[in-house]
Amino acid sequence: MVAVNLEHRPRRVLTGNAAAAYAVRLCRPDVVSLYPITPQTEVIEQLEKFYADGSLDCEMVTVEGENSAQNVVCGASMAGSRVFTATSSWGLAFMYDAMLQTAGYRAPVVMVNVNREPPGIQSVCSGQQDMIATRDSGWIQVIAESVQEILDLTIMAYRLAEDYEVQLPVMVNYDGYYLSFLAESIEIPTQTDVDAFLGVLKQQPQRPVLEPGCERGVGAHGLGAGFVELRRKHMAAMERSKQKFDAIDTDFGESCGRHYYGQIETYRTDDADIVLVTSGSAAGTARTVIDAKRQAGIKAGLVKIRMYRPFPKERLALALKGKKAIGVLDRSVAFGWDCGPMHQETSALAAKIGCMPILGFIDGLANMDITKPHIERMVDDIQNAALGNDFREVTWVASGE
Amino acid sequence: MGGKVKKLPKVTQFYRNEDQFSPGVAFCSGCTLELNLRFISRVLGKDAVFVGTPSCSAPVLNGANTGAWHKHAHYACTMTGVASSATGLTRAYQKAGKEATVVCYTGDGCAMDVGFQPLSGAAERNEKLIYICYDNEGYMNTGIQRSSATPLGAETSSTQVGSRARGKTTGSKHMAMIMAMHDIPYVATATLSHLDDYAKKLIKARELAKTGFVYLHVFTPCNVGWKTPTDASIEVCRTAVRTNYFPLWEAEHGEFRITYKVRNPKPVSDLTSLLGKFRHLDDGQIAALQNQVDKRFKIVQSLCGTSALPH
Repeated sequence: MVAVNLEHRPRRVLTGNAAAAYAVRLCRPDVVSLYPITPQTEVIEQLEKFYADGSLDCEMVTVEGENSAQNVVCGASMAGSRVFTATSSWGLAFMYDAMLQTAGYRAPVVMVNVNREPPGIQSVCSGQQDMIATRDSGWIQVIAESVQEILDLTIMAYRLAEDYEVQLPVMVNYDGYYLSFLAESIEIPTQTDVDAFLGVLKQQPQRPVLEPGCERGVGAHGLGAGFVELRRKHMAAMERSKQKFDAIDTDFGESCGRHYYGQIETYRTDDADIVLVTSGSAAGTARTVIDAKRQAGIKAGLVKIRMYRPFPKERLALALKGKKAIGVLDRSVAFGWDCGPMHQETSALAAKIGCMPILGFIDGLANMDITKPHIERMVDDIQNAALGNDFREVTWVASGE
Repeated sequence: MGGKVKKLPKVTQFYRNEDQFSPGVAFCSGCTLELNLRFISRVLGKDAVFVGTPSCSAPVLNGANTGAWHKHAHYACTMTGVASSATGLTRAYQKAGKEATVVCYTGDGCAMDVGFQPLSGAAERNEKLIYICYDNEGYMNTGIQRSSATPLGAETSSTQVGSRARGKTTGSKHMAMIMAMHDIPYVATATLSHLDDYAKKLIKARELAKTGFVYLHVFTPCNVGWKTPTDASIEVCRTAVRTNYFPLWEAEHGEFRITYKVRNPKPVSDLTSLLGKFRHLDDGQIAALQNQVDKRFKIVQSLCGTSALPH
């Protein structure tokens, strides 16, 4: 994160969840649908508070389940509203069919997903498996590292979702517990800042809207060729969204005072021999460890994945090309691949980045802390592999492997 | 002048606009859904926004056949998402200050089974929209499977008749009554043999949906699934009313009223004898069905009290 021009904007101590709600209020949504689930509930409580005190002027739909929460915002979005909903884990799973529809309709829905382990093994704890389970749903997925970034990324999500060249739903992810309930002092952009930042959208061509009497339909049956064309256009929009995200991030820096380098953030990678790739709140811990290892003479660097769908393969390849060894820290698993999903996808870049050991680390499932010693050990393993020693392809760190 | 002028049926006085549906729409011949949809459209007006789902009505509402379609604004969604998608639309119009009549149009499988939770939720929130359930007593589009609207004893492809089984072993949900218990502004039953009654209910629905949730439960026979001739649909509707199998009533702000009083109700066997899906029923099953019809009608009657209108 690079911060500039801090003077005139208010600072407040907010939790990650509250920060998301503050961001939503600044974006002036028309229709908000809400259903509680741990650890997201504070988002909806804060929004309900704004609604009650009159500072959030929207249609508030307190639905009877997440499936409805998603359908409400999809419908409202197709009727021309700016919309918001939030969920987590089991709730995300319950709205899966509706999420596919939102993506298929290219409805620019913005949704916060507070990462939590999904059902199966009963769990009320952090983990990215919920977002991973929906990675092929056609949504853009972005991940925040800090409370400040939750606020900023949620605002950026509206610019991205509603961009005429994109028109896709965006899921803003952040680690449950580690970030949802973490209170940090953050800077809040002014309403004028955000109005100007989002005002750019008004200069773009407008999406068609479903209106009474408009002789227009949403969701006609996709017949063979038409279906294929829509799929291809959806894919193309996903691809476009990568550079858009970079540009929007830069623009946010100019409008609101901070930027985050777009799809990925690289930290000390330029001259690095080895690189650790990760995402979310673990990146903060990793940065500290990278600094310490540098002091100890190991040329280590860090890549933080901010955009997971679409996968930032071009920029990631550029950052990783020619390194001696790479490690990928996942907070979830890719069933059937015996590794983590980010590890799986980074490995798929081999043709672009050259042949080097790519080590996978699975850690931080189910609120198991990703500690500094854990990351130190990962960096040591990567360094050993870089020196030509044998290495374990996938390590379950918390299992004491 | 002087030629014979064909008298228009009385019900046309309720029409607000020309037929918004083209000829040749993709319904089975004799299907009551076509009359139902064209009728709703003409009475509610061309500004109605239809929300539908994969079902018998989907090929027409959502356009699998783009050569024969309609001019209404329409929105297709998942079976679980009808009442909630319609909520999204109606709230968006409210926020934008646009007048709209949003109409959910689904079968009984969606309304009473898989889409029941969102329907109940939207009713409890008193969303300003109209939900019309066309009840053909099963999943007809997928090939005649039982739903919670399938009546006691009926044969479907998932309640078959053989040496071991004799059709559906449980009765249907009393859906219109369930919706009336949501304390919404308006609930009514209707069918296609009584179009005057239906039109008046649609007009009320249009007005009352400006204040909150409206649910209409419409009895719509399916020739294919019920095994009846293609010209028998209206007769089946009429018989369902005359046997009290499907009484016509309404509840406006909790005031119940029978809107078409049947003076001498016929036995339910008058209906079951018309329908192939009941062909296998023995006397015991018919008696059980009659018992359920009587019990349900008693509930309706007791709620209507003395307010029942004479025929």
